[in-house]
Amino acid sequence: MNPLRVALAVARKDLRSEWRTREMVPALAQFIILALLIGNFGFQIDARNAPSIAPGILWLALVFAGLVAFGRTFAAEREQASLEAMLMTPASPVAIFAGKALAATLLLVVCEVVLLPALTLFFGTPLSVEVVAAVLLATVGMAALGVLFAAIVARVRARELLLPLLTLPLWIPFIIAGGQAVQSAMGLPGNYQEAIGLLLDFDILFLVLTSLAARFVLDE
Amino acid sequence: MSLLVGNGLTHWFGRELALDGVDLVLDTGEHMAVLGDNGAGKTTLLRILATALRPTAGQLQIAGLDAFREKRRLRHHLGYVAHAPGLYPALSAVENLEFFCDLQEESRTRVGEVLDVVGLTPVAHRRADQLSRGMQQRLAIGRAILHEPRLLVLDEPDASLGEAAADLLTRVMEGKTVILATHDHALANRLCPRTLELRHGRSLGTATRLRVVR
Repeated sequence: MNPLRVALAVARKDLRSEWRTREMVPALAQFIILALLIGNFGFQIDARNAPSIAPGILWLALVFAGLVAFGRTFAAEREQASLEAMLMTPASPVAIFAGKALAATLLLVVCEVVLLPALTLFFGTPLSVEVVAAVLLATVGMAALGVLFAAIVARVRARELLLPLLTLPLWIPFIIAGGQAVQSAMGLPGNYQEAIGLLLDFDILFLVLTSLAARFVLDE
Repeated sequence: MSLLVGNGLTHWFGRELALDGVDLVLDTGEHMAVLGDNGAGKTTLLRILATALRPTAGQLQIAGLDAFREKRRLRHHLGYVAHAPGLYPALSAVENLEFFCDLQEESRTRVGEVLDVVGLTPVAHRRADQLSRGMQQRLAIGRAILHEPRLLVLDEPDASLGEAAADLLTRVMEGKTVILATHDHALANRLCPRTLELRHGRSLGTATRLRVVR
């Protein structure tokens, strides 16, 4: 079996389903705008404190949007009983996992296309290539972990409760390194290169670990 | 020659014994029906035979391979229709089958042939959630035969098919080794020369259909 062909087929199928139903992206985009609006009215924002507050709001919105996006990846398959049909094929579970993670990452990136300009609009912070790079790098690792835990909790009833409990502690490294990178890109003191390097290291580490674990999670 | 050999297949769900030491042999090309009331263990047995569920105890060999150690290899030769159709509602009938062609490494040209066999060509481009329950079941059967498996495991495939069930299943089962679970004794007799009766997870033995010759 060609794992790349399988992963691309799974990702294409998930993205096509989302395009037809528009179940997730509009709701997440709306959630992101509301989170930014609440942040904007909840804090006294001015030109001086915006770069220190905006990154916090950005990561909060991203974390909660990610939890919803990744949680749906396997829950929908379970609800329509299609996961078993997919796993009953000779396709590698790791390739299936990679396809699901790729689709979930792309859906979150679409939400980020709304989030980042809206952040600039509400908080007046610069939208630079450095900010975009930090957010995209964090998204990759967070998606790998989020989709793996979504696959684990999809089998249990209290999955909406369990997913954040399992995922959030492991997302902390991405939030710390990503937060530092975004803050320094917005002009606050900090080493941008070091934070980006850390994000890359975490991405590689968690991509390898989740690929190894996916086989056992999806195999039975 | 035996394609499937199961010995002492037993399964517990927690403290509930669902299947109690069932032995089963199925020859190549043979069709066997599994009969029994609700809760008799039909679905558990079929899920085990389809390698979707690992039994608590017992051995299963399919085509000479250990069904659980080499299940990924075996799945090239195995088609399974479960209780629920398990389709992607937002995708059309064609797209559902094309997706499974990609997963099976099967040429997409098979899709047209399969849609013909299950009688869904006129609704090929209709979304799965806009198909009737019977059409969805036909599509699930089509998905199971996409890769031309040697062994077909069918769990109540006649559900929602109505009067067309026997003709459709006859076409689908032709040339394959088949084990199917059903409540419909008449259908079982028509399609399968041999039946296995289950009660409370135990096998009551197999029976062979008698033909009356004038």
